[in-house]
Amino acid sequence: MRRVLFLAALTVGAGCSDDRVSPDQPGVFVLGVDGMDPVILRRMIAEGKTPHLAALAQTGSFEELGTSNPPQSPVAWSNFVTGMDPGGHGIYDFLHRDPKSYLPISSATAEVTDPGTFVQVGGYYLPVIAGDDILNNRTGIPWWDVLYSAGVDVEVYRIPGNYPVPSSDAKTLAGMGTVDMRGGYGVYTWYTDKAPVATAGHDLKADVQLVTVEDFDLDGIGDTVKGTLKGPPDLFHLVPGALPGESDYLTASVTVAIDADAPVALIKVGDAQAVVAEGEWTPWMPVTFDALPAGTMALGGTVRFYAKELRPGFKLYASPVNLAADAPPQAISTPDDFATELADVLEGPYYTQGMPEETNALKDGTFDDDDYLGQVGLVQEDSSAMLDVALARFARGDATFFYLSDIDLQCHMLWRHGDPKHPGEAAHPAFEASSAEKHALDIESFYRHVDGLVGRVRARLPADTLLLVMSDHGFQPYTRQVHLNTWLRNHDWLTMKDGKSTGMLALGDVDWSRTRAYALGFNAVYFNVTGREGEGIVATEELAALRTKLSAELLRFTDPKNGRKPILRVDSGRDIYHGMRVDEAPDLVVGYDHDYGHSDESTLGEVGELELEDNTSRWSGNHLMAPEVVPGVLLSSRPVRTSGNDLTDVTATLYAWYGQTLSSDLRGQPFLTP
Amino acid sequence: MALFNQLTTALFDVLLAPLGHGRPWFDLALWPVLGGIAALLVIKAVSNQGGITRAKGLIQVHLLEVVLFRDDLRTVFPATAKALGYNLRYLAYNVVPMLVMIVPMTTILVQLVSHYAYAPLRVGDSVTMIVELDDTVGGVTPAEVTLDLPDGVVLEAPPVRTADGTIAWRLSTTKAGDHVLRVRAGASVEDKLLSVGGPARKVSVLRTKGWEALLYPSESVPVAGSPIASLSILNRRDAPLGPFPVGESGILAWFFGASLLAGFLLKDRFGVVL
Repeated sequence: MRRVLFLAALTVGAGCSDDRVSPDQPGVFVLGVDGMDPVILRRMIAEGKTPHLAALAQTGSFEELGTSNPPQSPVAWSNFVTGMDPGGHGIYDFLHRDPKSYLPISSATAEVTDPGTFVQVGGYYLPVIAGDDILNNRTGIPWWDVLYSAGVDVEVYRIPGNYPVPSSDAKTLAGMGTVDMRGGYGVYTWYTDKAPVATAGHDLKADVQLVTVEDFDLDGIGDTVKGTLKGPPDLFHLVPGALPGESDYLTASVTVAIDADAPVALIKVGDAQAVVAEGEWTPWMPVTFDALPAGTMALGGTVRFYAKELRPGFKLYASPVNLAADAPPQAISTPDDFATELADVLEGPYYTQGMPEETNALKDGTFDDDDYLGQVGLVQEDSSAMLDVALARFARGDATFFYLSDIDLQCHMLWRHGDPKHPGEAAHPAFEASSAEKHALDIESFYRHVDGLVGRVRARLPADTLLLVMSDHGFQPYTRQVHLNTWLRNHDWLTMKDGKSTGMLALGDVDWSRTRAYALGFNAVYFNVTGREGEGIVATEELAALRTKLSAELLRFTDPKNGRKPILRVDSGRDIYHGMRVDEAPDLVVGYDHDYGHSDESTLGEVGELELEDNTSRWSGNHLMAPEVVPGVLLSSRPVRTSGNDLTDVTATLYAWYGQTLSSDLRGQPFLTP
Repeated sequence: MALFNQLTTALFDVLLAPLGHGRPWFDLALWPVLGGIAALLVIKAVSNQGGITRAKGLIQVHLLEVVLFRDDLRTVFPATAKALGYNLRYLAYNVVPMLVMIVPMTTILVQLVSHYAYAPLRVGDSVTMIVELDDTVGGVTPAEVTLDLPDGVVLEAPPVRTADGTIAWRLSTTKAGDHVLRVRAGASVEDKLLSVGGPARKVSVLRTKGWEALLYPSESVPVAGSPIASLSILNRRDAPLGPFPVGESGILAWFFGASLLAGFLLKDRFGVVL
């Protein structure tokens, strides 16, 4: 790393300072633990269950860390990355909306207006003039660029919200938000001889392939299964700008040969083969997809299979095809070859998919808790090995960030087995008596795992390194789903077309000429503003009064089941955000109380029958609430302010640690105290 | 094929790795240069050097014509056609030396790959071994194929016997050494070497009756009457080669690239027109 810095220092006119970081400057190591909750951690420390975190708290500090508003991971991590709030970095929610069409769109990528020019040759659409690049929607300068320019050797592992990867001279690997080969956030394949049954009100998030176990050797025992594995969209055959249909993906063949006597199979995908016994996972298997003939454009991915059942039924899981770490077909790191460098050091592939835990299969019911935890164990091994690499590369003076997903997704999925934050509370609506006892302490086990990693980090860092363990938010139970668009309809803010009582915002079901407000995203409400929305009717001058009126009504909203108020706070986007992109902010940001959250349906713009219902999904813990009910944690190896710290203060502290001036658009202040 | 493999392997086992397999740079630097020199000598001996000189000159003349008279299409088109024609003639002059060189150059490359492409597996690594039956021989079903494991190798999962005559074992290594995996198929016995741990050395990944044996000559070809067509180890580790590109494709690219470079650098010294 030092050599790279030396070379960088020789670079003229790259905007870098000529002065590299002083050899006397201690470094910083930031462990970002998504979803670590201060209440749970405080209890576990008191019970002696997390000795390394306890030691860090005792010798340094342990405080709550204020999260973003709304407390969603892409928003929160963008606050940390830029030191600004959403008004500055422009990430307001997992989902934004196209105001003209009322369609939900990903907040991760900037709008592409020019797809380029193509010619059609022999059935292929070939680009002749490049269109817009797909760029990250986040604006603002990431802290790693500031520190790198100041001569600090920076490495950033699996930072959320950094895909598409913005250019940088620092070494960064994209995390949450990085797509799989299909271009989504993780679609698995389920090969089965019986159609799986989706849980009520839930669509399977899988590519389900109904297969037949054929008897090729005619011995009366089924022995061979053939299927396909979908890779990236077949872009050269797809009409430019069109969304891929089910058959518009490149595929690789999958063959499973099952032994006649033992529950074991030989899986072949492309040129790779692996032997797997029932209940086992294969190692990563390379697979390539030919976008053009004769291997002139072979796109590399990796996949793992899980033999859930080989006989008498057949159930085989294939992970989302991850971009090949050793030769990713698109950039997932800066520089481009940092991802490859890590694959070389790790001597093999690693998860490149942003959220690798297979929550979809558990939600779908194709995985049970044991299957899920087995897969999470693979993610942990992967992450743990990469942490060792990060530690081995860390030298005095360096700044390294390392992201851990251990706690967040497990709290989302396993909270239903036993509330680790409110142990005396009634059972979760998604409580499963058959598995609860076995898994009641799973969430604690993930805290313990992180504790072990913190111990490893503390033991290996130079003694004077500033170690920060931080989370982007905490956690709460999610027992009641709020269908906010239904509430808006029932309270005359949103009107359906004649003859309809339910439907989707973007599918022509809403009478926009009589609709003043709608909800899209997990915490956002928009007014149907004239000139901004496609069929807006609310005049700009009416907005202030309508904001006040709707906020008051939302705060009066009462859950008939228990008399509680689901919504704790409602903020005006214009009032709480600062920066150049405030105009893009939601008009209102809804902050739910614990136990409550937006339903998936309402998030995507559905107007249903019910305003509220029990959450029976396995997605049973949540944090998409009011920021004050889900603060994160801050542990530091040095004393910090005892109150008022938030995510942007971490950024400011990194700048201050290396003597950098805080620019006026940064929201935070350094929190280290003498 | 078996005899050719035996002879070349015996020869290159003597010639290669004079400094040991842990110092691959010596052979990886030397043999491409020797290959380049050999190619120059062959070209000088068997090619039409005069024809090559004339073809090159005429290509240059017609390209110059294209550049000078680029506004006159009546000149540009015939000149371009002539340049292409002489290009073809130039390539034709190189066919004979290429045919002469293809066997020795490929042999050197295959031997370099055999010696340096792979590292022994690590103790504890999972290994998949695949045996394919020869359907032209027959007489043995997959159920009759068994594997004798030496000390240092254990079975991780029961074998898979497929309907198309493949038997696959997933093994784990517990000790370093060059282990012999003995496969019994009816009355036939074939061995496969599995290198684990220890110093850098030749690592064999495939024994086969097929044409691929020419590319993997380290172990003998299964006998003609054997019901076993091939024995392969799927798990392979690229050997570290310092500054040289690793793996089969890395050595291939390096060997041809460095041979070409050596040839161009030395062509004047050898009085060869390329």
